[in-house]
Amino acid sequence: MSGRAVRLGALLAFLPVAAVAQGGVVRGEVHDPRGAPIRGAMVGIPGTTLYAFTDAAGRYRLTLVPPGDLVVRAAAIGYAAASATVALAAGDSASADFALEPSALELAPLDVVSTKMPRFGERATTSVAQVTPREIDARAVITIDEAIDKVPGVQLLNGQINIRGSTGYVQGLNSRVLLLVDGVPLNQGDRGGINWDLVPVDQVERVDILKGAGSSLYGSAALGGVVNLTTRGVPSGAHVRVRLTGGAYADPPHDEWRFRNTTGLLGGVDVSTSYGTETVAGRLALSGRHSDGYREQDERDRWQFAAKGRWQTSPRTRLDASGAWAVDRYQVPLTWCLRAECDDRGQVYQPFKIDVAERGARTDSRKGYLMAQVRTVASERFAWQARGSWLRTHFTDYRRTASEYSIANRFGAEVRAEAHPAPTRTVLVGGEATLSDVTSDIFGTHSQSEFAAYGESEQLLGAGRVTAGARLDYLAVDGGSLTAVVSPRVGAAFPVGEEGRGGTLRMSVGRGFRAPTMAERFVHTFALGFEVIPNPTLRPETGWSVEVGHTTPVLGTVRVDAALFWTEARELIEPTLVVDTAGAAQIQLQNVSRARIAGLDLSLLAAPIPDHLTATLGYTYLHARRLAQGGSPAEPLAFRPTHMLTVTADYRFGRGGQVGGGPLDFGADFRYASRPERIELEGFVDSRRVAVRVLDLRAGWSHGPFELRLLVANALNYIYNLVPETLAPVRAATVTIVWSY
Amino acid sequence: MCLRPAAALVAVLAAALACDAGLEPEPICARGLVGLCGTIRFRGAIPDSTADVAVVAYATFPQSCSDLFTFRPLLPPSVPYTDSVAAYSLTLAQGRYEWVVAVWRKTYPPLTFTVADTAVLRAAGHFRDPADTTQPGAVTVTSGPAVGDVNFVVNFDSLRPVSYYFPCSAR
Repeated sequence: MSGRAVRLGALLAFLPVAAVAQGGVVRGEVHDPRGAPIRGAMVGIPGTTLYAFTDAAGRYRLTLVPPGDLVVRAAAIGYAAASATVALAAGDSASADFALEPSALELAPLDVVSTKMPRFGERATTSVAQVTPREIDARAVITIDEAIDKVPGVQLLNGQINIRGSTGYVQGLNSRVLLLVDGVPLNQGDRGGINWDLVPVDQVERVDILKGAGSSLYGSAALGGVVNLTTRGVPSGAHVRVRLTGGAYADPPHDEWRFRNTTGLLGGVDVSTSYGTETVAGRLALSGRHSDGYREQDERDRWQFAAKGRWQTSPRTRLDASGAWAVDRYQVPLTWCLRAECDDRGQVYQPFKIDVAERGARTDSRKGYLMAQVRTVASERFAWQARGSWLRTHFTDYRRTASEYSIANRFGAEVRAEAHPAPTRTVLVGGEATLSDVTSDIFGTHSQSEFAAYGESEQLLGAGRVTAGARLDYLAVDGGSLTAVVSPRVGAAFPVGEEGRGGTLRMSVGRGFRAPTMAERFVHTFALGFEVIPNPTLRPETGWSVEVGHTTPVLGTVRVDAALFWTEARELIEPTLVVDTAGAAQIQLQNVSRARIAGLDLSLLAAPIPDHLTATLGYTYLHARRLAQGGSPAEPLAFRPTHMLTVTADYRFGRGGQVGGGPLDFGADFRYASRPERIELEGFVDSRRVAVRVLDLRAGWSHGPFELRLLVANALNYIYNLVPETLAPVRAATVTIVWSY
Repeated sequence: MCLRPAAALVAVLAAALACDAGLEPEPICARGLVGLCGTIRFRGAIPDSTADVAVVAYATFPQSCSDLFTFRPLLPPSVPYTDSVAAYSLTLAQGRYEWVVAVWRKTYPPLTFTVADTAVLRAAGHFRDPADTTQPGAVTVTSGPAVGDVNFVVNFDSLRPVSYYFPCSAR
């Protein structure tokens, strides 16, 4: 089936330009019932490659639209989708405006993570969560990971993301979750980790999170899921946006924990300006930030520059380019002070203080990326896209004992084609190449190459959908022999009951993998008093993931989504204590374990007072176990909580779904995670840990171009830690003022 | 009916918030202890003849052999000395103590609670005055929280007979 579709797509690609040029234009606006524009709504023609997102003014423009009677569909998060029929003559233009009714229970168009497979996906075959533009604005976060960790089933451990318990915690050495920025993979070249501040937070429009293995399209690192950051589009006209943030950290709740006589402050400024026409557009953004930190030796300073541009070279071809560069200097709090390691004031541990031996430690970091993508819609049935990217990270850790540095590059290139050989069928094929290199005194000088080919086909069957695809990855380290990994995946989604009144049932089975990072293979340093030795023979981690989910409306004001998930992972890479020939204990990363991660993801969205009060509840039960193997007994996987709960409530005065639609709004986020049963290297570190119970409160007021946001993060000043000997953020109150022109 | 989910959410939230206080201070001295506690850092090679190490406190600095057994408590608990650091705590009556000292004891012969014991006892280290570390530090025990941070070093390579500090020798 795929081969036929590809041949058909290739034929369509070489159709005479004249035939394409006869396509017309459909333009219009999407707004709410009061006339307020809806930003980020997806407008497109089902069964074709033609789609666009609305700008800040709610405007969209579709080109190359074939003549005839067309169905145009608009969908936005928080609104009921709407369709309109448009009669379009060849080479002509037509207008279609949409007034979307607020519907808190409406599912988002779930295409956005899989930009490789654009569609209106109200029947997704796997779980996808979203952090909407409204949520990002309302939460007024400083870094984007603060917004992500409110998502059900997602937890961030000191910056390391866990989706449904996928990753655990190995500071800075890997990630089983892939980060995409506008669809481009940007995990670090050396450590494979994620820099959440790579993109200025004010430039992030929304976040989409694919839960479960995504390697069939995205390859390595997508073993546990995919996070896609979508940056703000560049609208037509001249625009300026200024965002000022200022705030203060709470003092320690106990006098014996006080470590300074002043109040810790934080603040920042983001300024962006853009200008665009229908043909070209560009934006420049500059941001600066300072934080005194909430604990001893925790000051941070950062400057960041970002730019984005688009060039509509022709009605059918568009070039997008973006990049950012950040310079950070931050003191390193390292681990908290244990008895007698500092002025302990008679305490067994001092969570706000550090070991005096680490005084003066700091890290200088520079990181940035460049990317360019070109997308050509050759016809309404065929489109292709190519992109290139470069990510560079450079850090130097200055310690009293020794300094460490690493400079890494990650170059990526990808070409893919998308065809709609029939209105009910979509086919995607592509190839991807990634070259990473590192020069470091702890990782050595190495390179790693990854080459991949992938394909996926989707068939609509009535109101249902079936997808099948696979990806073949070849990996080579330092030019050595290739390792091949195959990642297939199938999925299906079908309505239940008459006209889908019983909701939608979805199922998917897929294989994921993660190649060892160069840091994991070649790291040679000292940690916790042990020598950490390299292991060049590490093999890729692999895992099969199965998911069965059901989404259904209840009582008209409640929507329930339940998903059972199951992952069988092999060759997981974990730190292991080994003994050398001289009898000294060392730490080495090894493929040591088989693991099973199973559980239940339950979310409930309620709108008891439509358009005013919405509430969500997300609960995740995790059964994460390392399986018995050899002489090792089965045991819980480290750093995985058994229970996770998120509760969110928003009340908005006035009407209107967008930020600013109502003059005043209040909200709260609460998240709970049970105390992890096990941590790594227990006995060698302070294993003190508690459950997570964090409440965030927020309020917002908007008037014209001004928006004022108050945020009290960790309002109860709950003192906790997520990883050993590292205090999690305490209460911080911030005020954010945004002016948009 | 529509408000039930919201009420349930509020109930869950309230229940979750009411349960836990998170990380809390953990004083080195156990709560309720009247006395003092601290940390001993060990240096040097542990003698093979070591029976135990214990911490005792003298209300006044001993001046002669007759003061040798005026320390408190009379039966001090031994301190684990095989690691480089050990915590200890001492239950004492309220009052001022001028000399808090770690006492090393030899395995043989057993104590007789006479001056002869000076042959098997050694002063292994003592708490020093933070303002003048050449002098012993005084500690005042009250009925309130125990005195923490009474920290000092035990050096097994320089165990001193009590006569080093005051005149007293076994005949």
